[in-house]
Amino acid sequence: MSLVRRGRWITLVALVLLAGVYVRALAFTPIERLQGPAQKIFYLHVPAAIWTEAAMILVGLAGIFFLFLGDPRLDRFAEASAEVGTVFATIVLTTGPIWGKPIWGTWWTWDARLTSTLFLFFLYLGYLLVRGAVRDPGLRARYAAVLGICGMCLVPFIHLSVYLFRTLHPQPIILKPSGPSLPDSMLVTWLFSLLAFTLLYVGFVTQRYAVSLARDARETAAAEHG
Amino acid sequence: MADVPQNAGYMVAAYIVTAVILLGYAVSLGRRSRNL
Repeated sequence: MSLVRRGRWITLVALVLLAGVYVRALAFTPIERLQGPAQKIFYLHVPAAIWTEAAMILVGLAGIFFLFLGDPRLDRFAEASAEVGTVFATIVLTTGPIWGKPIWGTWWTWDARLTSTLFLFFLYLGYLLVRGAVRDPGLRARYAAVLGICGMCLVPFIHLSVYLFRTLHPQPIILKPSGPSLPDSMLVTWLFSLLAFTLLYVGFVTQRYAVSLARDARETAAAEHG
Repeated sequence: MADVPQNAGYMVAAYIVTAVILLGYAVSLGRRSRNL
């Protein structure tokens, strides 16, 4: 099976799983008493946030290894991961304010967590813009690797920002040293959603990698003939 | 249940926005990979 087809199948399975998450979260998961139905945004917002950060860590790691090894597969993977990370960051930055408005009474506040997440989104955009602006493949890969490493360094700060500063954004209730503080029914829905987002990441990155692979083959052929 | 805030509209909006973003990207990727 080709890389594209494999990516499409994984994406399809992930989307079906996500549809199941929608049904479970909306119809079979209890409503939180203090926040009301808006709390159910949690099942999309947090898995998307985890993969926004994980995708940038993987971009940075691929960048480090690329600078040492020069393997173009690492650069292609980083490019794919950055694009998918941008999509997930868009979800985080749209669902977050939609959740914040009924709970905090405001769409946005410039606290450390929100501002650093917005900065990560701009880093993603900058990364993709740099890739689009530099025509030389070798230079493009090196500039992108450095930018990806910078983005990776931002991720721990984003995660710890709620501990380091006074923020409106709550502290983690799942990814914390003492373990998740969530009823089982909500935790199962959340884990189900995390699985769907993980498969989405894998499916999207696989397809995007195949697109980059084809582009690189075209560029190589054009260089050889022109 | 009388004390539970009535804010289901926000929940629905967030779920729709997420679906649109994910499906939009899936379609975009599908189109790009079809032209390979």
